[in-house]
Amino acid sequence: MPFCAHRCGYCDFTVVAGKDHQAGDFLLALEIELASLGQPREVQTLFIGGGTPTHLPVSHLDRLLTLATSWFPCATEHEFSVEANPAGLDAEKIDVLAAHGVNRVSLGVQSFDPAVLKTLERDHDAQQVEAAAALLSQRIPNFSLDLIFGVPGQSLALWRETLARAVALGPMHISTYGLTFEKGTAFWNRRAKGLLNQAPDDLERDMYAAAMDELPQYRFEQYELSNFAKTGFHCRHNETYWAALPYYGFGPGAARYLNGRRETNHRSFSTWLTRVLSGKSPVADVDELSPADRARETLIVGLRRTAGVDCAEFRATSGFDLDEVAGAAIARHCTSGLLERTATGIRLTREGRFLADSVIVDCL
Amino acid sequence: MDPKFIRNFSIVAHIDHGKSTLADQLLLKTGTITQREFREQILDDLDVERERGITVKARAVAIHHTYQGHDYELNLVDTPGHVDFHYEVSRSLAACEGALLLVDAFQGVQAQTVANAYAAIDANLVIIPCINKIDLPLVRTEEVLEEMHTVLGIQRKDVLMVSGKSGIGIDDVFEALIERIPPPAGDAAAPLKALIFDSKYDNYRGVVTYIRVRDGRLAAGMKILFMSGRSTHEVLEVGQFRPDMKKCDELGPGQVGYIVAGIKDLGSVRVGDTVTLASRPADSPLPGYKAPQQMVFCGMYPIEATDFEKLREELQKMSLNDASFSFVPETSDALGFGFRCGFLGMLHMEIIQQRLEKEAEIDLIQTAPNVTYELLMNDDATVRVDNPQEVPTTGGIKEFREPIVRVNFIVPAESIGTVMQLCEDRRGTYKTTEYLGMKRAQLAYELPLAEVIYDMHDRLKSITRGYGTMDYEVIGFRGADLVKVDILVKGERVDALATIMHRDQAERRGRGLCKRLKEEISKHQFEIPIQAAIGSRIIARETISALRKNVTAKCYGGDITRKRKLWAKQREGKKRLKQFGQVEIPQKAFLSVLEVGDD
Ligand SMILES: Nc1nc2c(ncn2[C@@H]2O[C@H](COP(=O)(O)OP(=O)(O)O)[C@@H](O)[C@H]2O)c(=O)[nH]1
Ligand code: SF4
Ligand SMILES: [Mg+2]
Repeated sequence: MPFCAHRCGYCDFTVVAGKDHQAGDFLLALEIELASLGQPREVQTLFIGGGTPTHLPVSHLDRLLTLATSWFPCATEHEFSVEANPAGLDAEKIDVLAAHGVNRVSLGVQSFDPAVLKTLERDHDAQQVEAAAALLSQRIPNFSLDLIFGVPGQSLALWRETLARAVALGPMHISTYGLTFEKGTAFWNRRAKGLLNQAPDDLERDMYAAAMDELPQYRFEQYELSNFAKTGFHCRHNETYWAALPYYGFGPGAARYLNGRRETNHRSFSTWLTRVLSGKSPVADVDELSPADRARETLIVGLRRTAGVDCAEFRATSGFDLDEVAGAAIARHCTSGLLERTATGIRLTREGRFLADSVIVDCL
Repeated sequence: MDPKFIRNFSIVAHIDHGKSTLADQLLLKTGTITQREFREQILDDLDVERERGITVKARAVAIHHTYQGHDYELNLVDTPGHVDFHYEVSRSLAACEGALLLVDAFQGVQAQTVANAYAAIDANLVIIPCINKIDLPLVRTEEVLEEMHTVLGIQRKDVLMVSGKSGIGIDDVFEALIERIPPPAGDAAAPLKALIFDSKYDNYRGVVTYIRVRDGRLAAGMKILFMSGRSTHEVLEVGQFRPDMKKCDELGPGQVGYIVAGIKDLGSVRVGDTVTLASRPADSPLPGYKAPQQMVFCGMYPIEATDFEKLREELQKMSLNDASFSFVPETSDALGFGFRCGFLGMLHMEIIQQRLEKEAEIDLIQTAPNVTYELLMNDDATVRVDNPQEVPTTGGIKEFREPIVRVNFIVPAESIGTVMQLCEDRRGTYKTTEYLGMKRAQLAYELPLAEVIYDMHDRLKSITRGYGTMDYEVIGFRGADLVKVDILVKGERVDALATIMHRDQAERRGRGLCKRLKEEISKHQFEIPIQAAIGSRIIARETISALRKNVTAKCYGGDITRKRKLWAKQREGKKRLKQFGQVEIPQKAFLSVLEVGDD
């Protein structure tokens, strides 16, 4: 769901800002794309992300959720997540979500500090966050907060305060993301011109360490490189990705992994729209790997989990033994101290979480 | 063919003064090639030559011209003009009795005009001086005539006015070639004596040997003997270059051509050797060539260790085609198995490297080039050192000697001061100044070769706004206060990064080197100290701080493919790194030694 009130300077998602009048076209095209399923499929988890799904007016939001659940009826014990932003998330919209069976909301908080929010070009303030969290606590208590660290101008003390304030709102789940500068974003260009300074390595590390050290004290256990949750509140949908299990995907920029084949739709909303409306495939990129490369991919996404990769599970998913696909790299990093062997497999050490990409690159 | 009707000549000039273009014109005028076959600088058929617009290899071509009712065979040997290729020039000259000396009508006498003219004079050739490119809108004919007289003692009445491009004066050139150059001496009835002046490897025919016949006759079916190589072969084909290889019945005295004898062994053909008949050998070989002195060396290592044998084969082929290039196997702790290759100069090195990568498709790691050194040891033995690694760290050296060159500059009079300053900065010793008319001067210096080869030419061009030219010749070795500077990465010496320099420069360059390496080597999980040292004394130090955080924040459904591709690309990049201990050093770092200049 690509619509947003405006585009934040660091964002490189598929986002359409200031074109709310096209929401009807979007729903129409989505309906067509979903119809390619032929028949409804029961799923364990459903996730509507964006963009800002809750930016849609109530009537459109209602239609979106109806569409989603009619094609993807949920199994019992299902997880149904929707992404939301604090600005404009009122009781009425939350009611619509709840009425359709949404039982998890991921809230784009990022920060409580006015200066940091301004740098990030977010359109809400701390009060709106608190109000949204209060409403959610009553209707959909399984909610998660997204936070960003390493923002230019943000100090370590300020970040610690952000963590504490987030915890105080009573979420079940917290995601912490180091700010990245993606090609094509306003931030990227401003950094290139020297108008924006990336936080120093050391500070980013200290901030990440603060999240890793402090959140567990409030019983948020780290279960993935950027994700922390109370017991039983992992995001089951996202765990599908790290376990390299299959999933569907619909909408502009959406990705799917079916029968060992990864496909990504056109990231441009208008391209996706025109193609779907004119009966053409919206797929832009198909990635079909050899079994060995697919196994390596399974390994590197799996390593993101705190629990790491289980030998038997890996063998079952990929058809390979761990050492067969990356024995040398694994041995090297067990020595370098970034990986460790567990009773049943391997995982990143604490130090390894700071340098996960170095390990991943060597495993490819 | 009666030698009376044969003329062998070569064309010499400063680079870009029009040798190749004139050669084209001579081929076209005599119908050796047709207008349709014509492409510019037709003799420059190596890829590198066409790309760089320079002649690297000497070429031979037989052309026929009718003069006063007689058919003459004119064998033209086109030569390279760059200072690195003097060796090719002198070999070509030995196959000739005369030379066309071209001087650009605007640029006038340049450094390599002088060097090449003297080479021709030394080889006892008749010189036909030409002012070339007289079709140019701006010419300085009068001044150029004056310069030719001042520097080379050339009489203005002997000078032809030519344009290789438009064809002006070409008939005069033919007349002069036939009238002024003596026919080759030689006895058709005597035992065969032919000089090998070049060779190349052809995938289908094996070794093609380029020869000039001095005495006797050579035809297919004969059994030949290489006099110093002592090997015998049956001739399958003889022919001439016109300009492509063209079979002919026989080659007689004075003629230039090729032999195909089904030779597969690259090593059996030596440039400078004499070919004779196995059944009736000559008493003594022709005087050969002085072996070329490689002055610049570098290590070449295959990136993939499995390419080592392939690289050896390719180097062998390359050295057959280029006698001035040498190679011996060596090993490096840092780079594994490779070869130490010797070159005449930097351009020569670049060209060989480019040819290797292109023609052989082998990815190479090349170490920074160095000149060759001579060590006088305490026991009075002299040792040649082609690799800084070989300099003993423990002492025992009585004198450390470096190659010295005499450099001849021709520069605009107003830049004399800056050029002299450049030479002073580079440890030069002033020799002479000579004015070539009002505006230009010839300046001679003795300089260490190491100070000349890397970038002196570029510096000269920039301080003279392109007008200055230079040429140099090695005159010997001389003692200097030289030291070996080692580089230690994380406490360990990286052999392939060692360099030799003058003690006075060691600290400054050592610092620069550490800085450069700091930029080239990416952060690791740990801190990496980089040090420059003379023996056990550390003279400079930099530290690459540890990589503190390297983790992708988001990796969800839509990110996986993109991120995996990005990581896979980084992985590819890492394959071009050499693992040294725990540290990965990129290929570029090995050359960074060079880029640490004067500042
Ligand atoms: N105007 C003019 N240009 C020429 C003439 N001969 C060569 N050139 C140009 O000078 C440049 C160098 O010529 P080339 O034959 O490659 O010189 P070489 O390096 O001595 O072989 C080329 O751009 C030619 O087109 C000539 O007679 N007149
Ligand atoms: S609200 Fe979220 S999706 Fe929308 S522009 Fe900002 S960061 Fe991107
Ligand atoms: Mg040329």
